[in-house]
Amino acid sequence: MKTSLLKVLLAASLAVLASLFLPAASAQTAAKDKIAVVVSTLNNPWFVVLGETAKARAVELGYEATIFDSQNDTAKEAANFENIIAGGYQAILFNPTDANGSIASVLKAKAAGIPVFCIDREINATNAATSQMLSDSYSGCVKLGQYFVKTVGKEGEYAELLGIVGDNNTWNRSKGFHSVVDRYPGLKMVAQQSGEFDRAKGLEVMESILQAHPNIKAVFCGNDAMAMGAYQALVTANKADVVKVFGFDGADDVVKLIAEGKIAATGMQFPKLMARQAAEYADSYVKGKRDFAQKIPVPVELVTQQNVSKYGDYGKK
Amino acid sequence: MRALRWISFMIVLAGLGWRFPLFHVVPLQQAVAEKKAATFDPTHFAGTFWTNRLLASLDKAVSATVLLPAIQSDPATAKKQFARSVGMGESYFYFVAGTGRVVSVSDDEIRLAVTATGTNADISLPAGPVFGNSLRDGTGLLNVSDYPNSQDFNDISAALNHLVETAVLPPLRTQAKVGVHIAFAGCAEVADESSDLKPLHVVPVMTRLTSNQ
Repeated sequence: MKTSLLKVLLAASLAVLASLFLPAASAQTAAKDKIAVVVSTLNNPWFVVLGETAKARAVELGYEATIFDSQNDTAKEAANFENIIAGGYQAILFNPTDANGSIASVLKAKAAGIPVFCIDREINATNAATSQMLSDSYSGCVKLGQYFVKTVGKEGEYAELLGIVGDNNTWNRSKGFHSVVDRYPGLKMVAQQSGEFDRAKGLEVMESILQAHPNIKAVFCGNDAMAMGAYQALVTANKADVVKVFGFDGADDVVKLIAEGKIAATGMQFPKLMARQAAEYADSYVKGKRDFAQKIPVPVELVTQQNVSKYGDYGKK
Repeated sequence: MRALRWISFMIVLAGLGWRFPLFHVVPLQQAVAEKKAATFDPTHFAGTFWTNRLLASLDKAVSATVLLPAIQSDPATAKKQFARSVGMGESYFYFVAGTGRVVSVSDDEIRLAVTATGTNADISLPAGPVFGNSLRDGTGLLNVSDYPNSQDFNDISAALNHLVETAVLPPLRTQAKVGVHIAFAGCAEVADESSDLKPLHVVPVMTRLTSNQ
């Protein structure tokens, strides 16, 4: 009798112990759901912040997350999507390389049952991505254009460095800027060239513009990487004090130069906010939510010497 | 026999060519018209939207005599009750209508006091160039998700602003003298509550002189 009671107690203890340890053990061995973060390029700090933030938020939410670099190449991007579809990922956080050229990849993922959440840049389709979180580049550049006229004046020559010509953001920014500046006939755009959103290319293009047009008063750049390149070219040419540089993105190095009075202004795009929101949307999708707005504009804020103290670390302090 | 085979082959080939032509010949005028029809025309869209939907929705605007005291009392409650937001931003819009007495006129703006005895400006109407998305986003009649290419959506803003500048502002500038009363309806964006609530910067869809004193 005593032995059987001992056996029962032993069995009960083992059962309690097992109930305590087994769930933890099984959770450790179960494979985590996977989220892919596809970024147009990692050759630009702004996109690195975008990708790393999306990845970090996905990891916080309990996913295994991997960043794929498309190197500004739709073919490379398509190959990334093929690997992601074959790799059994649950969602894709996507920063497209081309508004039209990236649609096919998104449709492939959709056909494979993988939701795609676009970040910052859009694709020209409303039936492919699950949702698109887009910087309101146009409105941001309207504000930049107004500030440009206020600080440069209503007369003088200026240049524009465009981004990648196939990207909608390039034209949304350019059109927003010109919707204001073109109203002042005294402001003459003497050069408009693509710097492909790249710092080295921005430097190279700015050098050639300065040779052809030495009297420009300002340069409007479609992103901060090109603004940094343009500023570097101006420093080399001893013109940094006479030519005002306007960027767009809110990159940390440009925000610091605005605080030092070396760059006139930029538009803060909040990459961390967009990246985190995209990861949270993907998590909601995995958990069953299906009703997402197709396009969610994210406002851009003007950063100048007057308010630069409020900004930093790719957002508001 | 060989000739017969060739003839049969040519007949089959001709049949296939007729059924599945390698190219179509389209009159140049037709091709131009088709291309134009496929391209979004923001000016045409804005004109139709203005006439058929924007002007028809003015009765949906909140009265300035209701909105302004509500903002003065508690901006957060007024925002919750009357404002419209777009996307993830902090800025928001009011669609507002009312009548005010002109208290100042400059090259850039016309300021109105809505309260009967007030001398401070409650409303600012533009007198010069109009920028931004107040009219596109302020009424809730248009949704960015309906536009595959946001460039089209942005072009609508520019076209609506152009209509304000060409259809609304010229008579307003002529009529606006200090002391006269002007009826207005339009949208105001509030991006910074410290500067955009008093006065409200209204981009007007409609203005009308109601009294010369």
